[in-house]
Parts: sequence; structure tokens; C-alpha cells
Amino acid sequence: MKVKKMLACAVTAAMAVSALSAPVMAEEAELLPGGGSNIIYCITPSPSNPYFKTVQDIATAKGEELGYEVKCQSHDDDAAKQLEMFEAAIADGAAAIICDNAGADASIEAVQKAYDAGIPTFLVDREINESGLAVAQLVADNAQGAAAIAEAWVEAMNYEGQYAELLGLESDTNCQVRSDNFHSVIDEYPDLEMVAQQSANWDQTEAYEKTEAILQSNPEITGIICGNDTMACGAVQACIDADREDIKIIGVDGSDEANAYIKSGNMVGTALQQIALITEMAVEQADAYLNGTAPEQEKQLIPCVAVTADNTDNLSGFVYTEEGAADDTAAEEEVTDEAAAEEEAADDAAAEETETEETEAE
Amino acid sequence: MNKKTNNNQLLMTLLKGRTFIVLILLVIFFSVVKDNFLAPSTLTMVAKHVALYGILALGMTFVIITGGIDLSVGSVVGLVGMLAGGMIQEGLTLKFAGVTLYFSVPMIVIFMLVVGCLIGAANGLIITKLNVAPFIATLGTMYICRGFANLRSNGATFSDIAGYEGLGNTGFKALGSNFASIPAGVYVFAILAVIAAVLLKKLPFGWYVLAVGGNEKSARLSGIKADKIKILVYMISGFCAAWVGMINTAQLSAAHPASGDGWEMNAIAATVLGGTSMSGGSGTVLGTVVGAFVIGVINDGMTMCGVSEFWQKVIRGVVIILAVVIDQTQRNLQAKMALQARNENK
Repeated sequence: MKVKKMLACAVTAAMAVSALSAPVMAEEAELLPGGGSNIIYCITPSPSNPYFKTVQDIATAKGEELGYEVKCQSHDDDAAKQLEMFEAAIADGAAAIICDNAGADASIEAVQKAYDAGIPTFLVDREINESGLAVAQLVADNAQGAAAIAEAWVEAMNYEGQYAELLGLESDTNCQVRSDNFHSVIDEYPDLEMVAQQSANWDQTEAYEKTEAILQSNPEITGIICGNDTMACGAVQACIDADREDIKIIGVDGSDEANAYIKSGNMVGTALQQIALITEMAVEQADAYLNGTAPEQEKQLIPCVAVTADNTDNLSGFVYTEEGAADDTAAEEEVTDEAAAEEEAADDAAAEETETEETEAE
Repeated sequence: MNKKTNNNQLLMTLLKGRTFIVLILLVIFFSVVKDNFLAPSTLTMVAKHVALYGILALGMTFVIITGGIDLSVGSVVGLVGMLAGGMIQEGLTLKFAGVTLYFSVPMIVIFMLVVGCLIGAANGLIITKLNVAPFIATLGTMYICRGFANLRSNGATFSDIAGYEGLGNTGFKALGSNFASIPAGVYVFAILAVIAAVLLKKLPFGWYVLAVGGNEKSARLSGIKADKIKILVYMISGFCAAWVGMINTAQLSAAHPASGDGWEMNAIAATVLGGTSMSGGSGTVLGTVVGAFVIGVINDGMTMCGVSEFWQKVIRGVVIILAVVIDQTQRNLQAKMALQARNENK
């Protein structure tokens, strides 16, 4: 029941978004016809990360609901493997491809191939550094999310103290974006001092070991900021083992594991990337596109939700439910509000994004 | 005895103890740079981290001495973690009988060790009976094990592995906690290292392993069952990997299907640093233990000093290559000295 209601909410959200952005019928640009079959390919990194598993699960559920056959594949963050999967999808006559790509530059070639074969690609979660190839790029607003959860953390730290940072894979764009936006908030407070910064490659065991080492060299730290929840969970476990449960920890993603730690008080919070919503929107837009309606904007930013002890009960399986969504009308209203807010945030973030792109280009 | 031989002999002694010398130099260096590096809590932490790939390296030492390699250990770590986590959280469901069985922690530990041994035995059988090169055979089992680790939960993580009081399967966390302020993993490492050393140095089995690695043909001719020895060394390696899988899971109190990814490389590095020859026939357990500590001290020392992960990788690579280069120099020198000694005797 709950899931159904969520789906309903998301559908309305998606519709609200597309209503606001006023669907444009393809007049000037010819729509890509698709490969002829009724198959949607969903290509993501390994589903051993529950986050990507959510992408595959939601895409399958939503796609089947709309009458498609959905085939899920994992490229394991290997661009070469991803290209092979795109080629297989083209050979299979895929109607559309939903992809969480393996790298902003390395994935352009694959999307180009699909474009040339007349198959529309919808990118979720991560964007590519080329516009006009994918029909849509639906991305969680990492910058806004990191900043939002950093605000909560700064407050929990009481605006002072020493802290450490665990970075993700440093070659990953999201790693830089998250770290930069943590610091855009935290560096405003001169009494917060970063004494250690280490990469733990998004990995739990590595985060556990690095946190232990940092606690040895800098026992005076009172906070740890982490680039994702997997690392945050490793850091939490290290702090528990060292009897340092006073340390304030945040992550980004919104995984159930992190949420359990927020409930138990071991973590301050996390920034939920609404990946379930994003994936649903992508499938919706794919369906609309195949029926002749292209989304107006290619790049769409979906805001993150800061999850702390206050709203931890609303989060489960990367799905965030608003409180009081008791009856459908209320839910609809709220979702519409949210969608409006999303639009606004998307505009802000779009401006921000151009900046980032420019800096990247340099 | 002329002066040159004396010099050579001094050089030999230095070369033989090279890994140990490197370890001492590293410890001195980091204790100068970081004043609390020699604190007991830091040293226990280093030992705790070393234990994980140190245990893998113990098994790897046996395998490499026979001239083989075991790439599957990292995946076995992941698979065992997932199986153990699953058994605690969900029990073992027997579909045909329609029951779910929950086992006590000691039973689970024994099951997991059996799983490790069985995977090792499979490796050994594929290599000896089906005549597949060790690199390929274990590469295959590496993928198979990683696949099953993911299949166990369909990619999800088992978190908060504490067991249930009512089912009597609590206590798994003990493998990840401290006893007398020393982590359980370090005890396991120490005990396994002693057993491995005795096995390799004092028991006939060790001589057979060295003989098979040194010259398999003559070992066979002298009546050693080479195939059996080879299967056993892979079983030892799987056994060690199973311990690491359980300790890692207990420490994180979470089982993640991707854990242990790439750890086989750490184990190989520690083994080679410890002086075990990749071509087989020679190697010691003590050397491997020291090699594992060299890697551990570098990792934790650099992290404590705030060196970036990228430089850590570069430095790790340089140390491994240097170790092998010195190893070669030592071998050449040994050959030269033997020749010299023979000439002098004439």
C-alpha cells in the first residue's frame, strides 16, 4: 500500500514537474524512434551498492507497470563494459536506455552510439559532459544536499571544534562537489578546524581503518564528515569501538544503514539523494518521449533532503515520505509544493552548475 | 678469507634481514614524525589492520612456495562475510524441509572455515586434476565467489550483525572486539602464524611444500604426492581467507558483498616483501609476517601523517618493486659467493 502511494506521489510529482515545464511537442527536433522493441535497458553500476540496486528495482517496477520489458545490467563503473552493454542494447532493439553512467567523459561515446542508432537515453544520478545526446539527464543536486547536511552538522558541533573529512574516490566528480560544498558552509565558521583529510574510496572497511588511524593521530576531533554513507558507517563503527560516541558524523546518500545509525544517535544525519524519485521520473519521461512528448529540459536537478533525527522516520529504502501524507489530496498538494520548490531549486542550481562546468572546462 | 669475502658476508646478512631493517627504519621514521606513533594504542591499531591481510598472506605464502598463486582470497573474504552475516540474520532455510535453522556462533565459525577449505579444495582440484594454470583457475573462482557473495542477499548489505538473544546466536561481534585491549583478529593472526611456521619448518609437510615448489618433477620422483600437497596448500589459503572474512564482518558489524575486493594483491605484496620467491621453492612465515607489518606501518603511518591516498599508492608500489630488486641482488650474490667458496677450496 505504502509503496503504491509512493508511486502515486512520484507520478504526480513527475507530472507536476512536466506540467510546469510545459511539454514541448517535437516540431523542430525529430524524436528518436527507439530500436523497435518494447524493452527498456537499465544500465547502472554494481547493485551490490543498495543505492544502485534501488535504481534497478524502481526502473523495473515502473517500467513493467507502464507495459515495458525491463532488462537490468551492471557496468561496474567500467566505461568499456558500459559501451559493450550499450551495443548489446542497440543490437537488441531497445526502446530506450536508462543509465547511471560510468564517468562524465568516458560515457559520451556510448550515449552517442545509442543516439546514432535512434535510441533515446535517459541518464539518472550522474551527468555526462556533453549535451544534446541524451534526452534527459536527471541528477541529484549534490551541491545543495552536501551544503544542507553540513548546516545541520555545524549546528550539532555547536560551531566549534576540530574535525576530519573522509573523501570518496578523488577522481569522481561527486567527491569534489560534495567536499567543496561541505566546506562552503563549514569554512564560514573559523572555530571549526579540519585537522585530517583522507580518501577512503567510498569503502566501508577502508573508512573504518582510516578513522582508527585518524583517532590515533588526532584524538581531539569531535566530528567527521564523510562523502557517502558507506564510509560514514565505517567511521561510526570505528568511533563506537574507540568509545568515542560523542563524535558527530555525517554522510551523503540516505542509505538504510546510515538511517539506522541516525535513529540510534550515532550519526547526525545524511543528505538523501532521491534516487527512487529520480528513476521514476526517468522512466516516466522515457514513456512520454516514446509517445511523442520530449521533456523540455535535458538537465534536471532534483534536490536532496537533509535527513536528521527530526525526520529519520520518513526515510526508508531511499524513498522519502512526507509526514501527514495521510490522504491522497494532502499528498498531492504537498508534492505539488515540493515540485514547485524543486523547480526553483533547479533554476538556482542550474546557474551554479554552469559555473562548475566553466571551472571544469578550465 | 680475504676482505672482499668479508664485505660480501656483511652485505649478505644485511640483505637477508632487509625487510626487518626496512620495518625498523619505517617505525623510527614515523615515530619521529608523529610523536604518538609508538603509543600502545597506535601499535595495537596497526596490528589490528595488519592482521587482516597478514592472515591472507600466511595462506598465500604456502601457495606461492609451491609456485602457484591464489587470486580468489579477496572474494572468499566477501563470500564468507556474507554467508556468516546471512546465517546470523536470516538463518539457513532448507527449502525441501521447509524449516529455517539458526546456528550458534561457534557452529557458524566452523561452517565458514569448512566453506573456505572447500573453495580451496576446488581451486586445488581444478589446478591439479584438470590441469588449469593456478592464475586462471583462481581467477575463475574469484569471479564465482564474488558472484555468489552478491547473490546471497541480491546485493544488499547485512547490517547490525548482533544475533538474537532468543535464537542463541549472539556473540559473533566477539571476533571484532578486544580482549585484554588486544583485538581478537591479532590473536587469530598470532596463533595462525605460529601454526604456519611449525607446519612449514618443523613438519614433513613443510618440506614437501618446499620440494614441490623447488622442483616438482624430482619431488614426484622421490615419492611426494605433489597433487595432494598442492590441493592442501589451496585449502590452507581458503581456510585463512575464511578467518579474515569473519573478522572483517565482525569488526564492521556489517557484511558487504564487495568487501575484500582487491585484498589478494595486499596478501601477495606482503608475501613477496617477506622474501617468498614468486617462482616457488623458498619462503618463510616470519618473512611474510614482517612483510605484512611493513605494508601496515606504511599505510597507517602515512594516514596518520595525512599523506594523500594517491601518494600512498605510489609509495606502496615503489616499496614492492624495491623489495623484489633486492631479492634478486641477494640471489645473485649468493650464487657468486658459492662459486667463490668453491674456487677457494680448490
